[in-house]
Amino acid sequence: MIIAPFQSIAQILIVLILAAAAIIIVKRDISSLVKTYAAQSLLLSLMAALLFVETGSIPLLFLAIIIFVSKTIIIPTFMTHILKKLNIKRDVEFHFLSPMKSLFASVIIIVFVYVSFSRLLAELNFFNSSLFFLGATIGISIVFMGMIVIFTRKQTITNVVGYLTMENGVVLFSLFLTELPLLVEVLIAVDLIMITLLATILAFGIDSTIEEFHNRLNPFQNTRKLSTNETSHDDFLRVQSFLENPNKEDK
Amino acid sequence: MTLSLITILSLYAIIGLAIILLVIFSKSHRVINLLSIVLPASYIALALYTLASDVLPNYLLGGNYFFMDHLGIYEVLISGVLFLLAALYAKSYIERSMEIGEMSRNNLKLFYVAFNLLLIVITYAFFSNNLALFWILAELTTAFSAVLVVILNAPKNIGATLKYVFITSTCMLFSFIGLILIFTLTQSSLGAGTLNWSTLMLVASTLSPGILFASFVFTFVGFAAKSGIVPFHAWLPSAHSKAPAPVSAILSGSITSVGIYGIIRMYAVVAQTSELPKISFFLIAFGLISMVVAALTMLNQVNLKKLIGYSTIENMGFLLVGLGLGTPVAVFWTLFYTLAHAFTKASLFFSAGILHHQFESVRMDHIKDAFKLQPFASWTLILGAIAIIGMPTSAIFLPKISILLQSASVSPFLLFGLLIIFLFATVAFGLFLIKMFSKRSEDGSQELKRFNAPVSMKLPIIILLVAVFVLGVFFPQQLNDLLKTIVGELGIR
Repeated sequence: MIIAPFQSIAQILIVLILAAAAIIIVKRDISSLVKTYAAQSLLLSLMAALLFVETGSIPLLFLAIIIFVSKTIIIPTFMTHILKKLNIKRDVEFHFLSPMKSLFASVIIIVFVYVSFSRLLAELNFFNSSLFFLGATIGISIVFMGMIVIFTRKQTITNVVGYLTMENGVVLFSLFLTELPLLVEVLIAVDLIMITLLATILAFGIDSTIEEFHNRLNPFQNTRKLSTNETSHDDFLRVQSFLENPNKEDK
Repeated sequence: MTLSLITILSLYAIIGLAIILLVIFSKSHRVINLLSIVLPASYIALALYTLASDVLPNYLLGGNYFFMDHLGIYEVLISGVLFLLAALYAKSYIERSMEIGEMSRNNLKLFYVAFNLLLIVITYAFFSNNLALFWILAELTTAFSAVLVVILNAPKNIGATLKYVFITSTCMLFSFIGLILIFTLTQSSLGAGTLNWSTLMLVASTLSPGILFASFVFTFVGFAAKSGIVPFHAWLPSAHSKAPAPVSAILSGSITSVGIYGIIRMYAVVAQTSELPKISFFLIAFGLISMVVAALTMLNQVNLKKLIGYSTIENMGFLLVGLGLGTPVAVFWTLFYTLAHAFTKASLFFSAGILHHQFESVRMDHIKDAFKLQPFASWTLILGAIAIIGMPTSAIFLPKISILLQSASVSPFLLFGLLIIFLFATVAFGLFLIKMFSKRSEDGSQELKRFNAPVSMKLPIIILLVAVFVLGVFFPQQLNDLLKTIVGELGIR
């Protein structure tokens, strides 16, 4: 009786987590990327909580709390803070693949992971439940999707979101495989270390290359100083808003 | 009085943390540098003491997390020597970097704290029995070494560091998936999940070979990224060339060793199963690809430190080939090769560091009159290059020729391929050195002021080169026994 709703809720959660990863692949606006990541982490912590309700294992409850605190509160707040400092809003340049092509690539990856893992994991007798199989496959797929984000985006901050998404995939994968989530907690600890490190590096960047950063981000900044008292100021603002949002016409 | 291993293990941390505290509270560069020399020296002493007290193979310590075996001690000794010489060299190098404004004086303590923390973390990584613990410590080595690369005030360093951190930590996540697979596999077949290397070695033959192979592939991705194997190598040349010279030497000798160490451990586990031919092929394939790509890229390099960095990739590829051959003889020489390579590479980076401070760049177009201005560094660079390409009487020669002979027994084509790759690498070094040293300044152009490298920068190079050329002709019995024990402990038949 209880099994059925658990199964369906878990399936819905897994699909939503996958959908969040897809949104991360296509979104260009960086602050909403961070928000999507926070939402995905929230879903992940709900997933852990659901598994706790189902199995009654206390470590899972701890894991849910840790995921919630670190991944939905601390890291997104931190990222938003960095975003404000760097003053970057959108990610317009892409390597190799456009977001839509990346999405297609990730569909192919999901199929590939499904096929290869179904053979591999059949050997583990742990895997009699189709739900667990779904969770593990989607987990690995999300890892690859995060990797696509890292490879196709140019902004460092989006790369960080891609890395964090990969990590969410690993956590999802391990939620369904291991009974001992201590490992996963360790992963999250390392994750926090890496984030602090990246922030330090970016801070170095801000300190040492502040001129270059701004010149690259805001080519009209020097013009602005000259033109503040002149009538061309409005023109300037229009140009600047175009620079920040060059694809406005596309939508 | 004999110290127990647990005491020794905790001594590593206690001495390390004490030194870091002292570094934080001391004022002069000289004292800080001296402290950073004391730390690796004490680590070497502890490792030698442990080796001499003959309590080793596989002494389990503190439950299931740490252990010491001959391989771990061997790697700690190599890293200890590298850190010791790098610290000695760093004093004047860093002082000069601060003088010319390459590094901010405010970052001096940060540099030494990260430097010493890196040594502690690397040491414990080599002593960890638990693969998950090893994974964490390997990630931390990335973190601390990234700090050491980014420390110079140049935008290019930030780019190189970001690349380094992203590529290695992304790949390390795949390793983590591999570890979860191993844990689940042992859980389903033994009842209790484990990631202890010593336990895995005992039970490996009873585990499902298919999943074990899959987890080997996953873990390989991360560890290969740490050691710069080809599809994951993009960070290595840029990080090696942008880092300060002492840090480049450590990156090339110790950080890559951490990756190779992880691969060796995983190899030893999977080699117990029927999948051995598959992973041998896998390792040899990745090794060859790395060597080909690196050797071809070396041919048109214009940056000296990048050239040396690509040579590291080539040598790491050769280590994988040696490991992939998998015979006791091949593994024996592979282990020795890590030592020979680490020492030779460090000497090359140290020489390049002197040239860097003379010409403020290591690009070929900036280097002129090298022999006139820096005769010492020029000669040591040539000697180092002669050693790294594996000329006879250098320490690289014996392992190289032995592994080549072993490869001939697998397939003569493998031997031919390897020889051709070595030819390319040799040509690359030769061409670069001839081009670089034949450049003279035009008449009437401004003469550069000579940079007087102090003894503390020259001594490490001399020590390393003497060690490399002595080890090439005289192979100590103790080292021979040590390497044989390691091969035995790895269960390689």
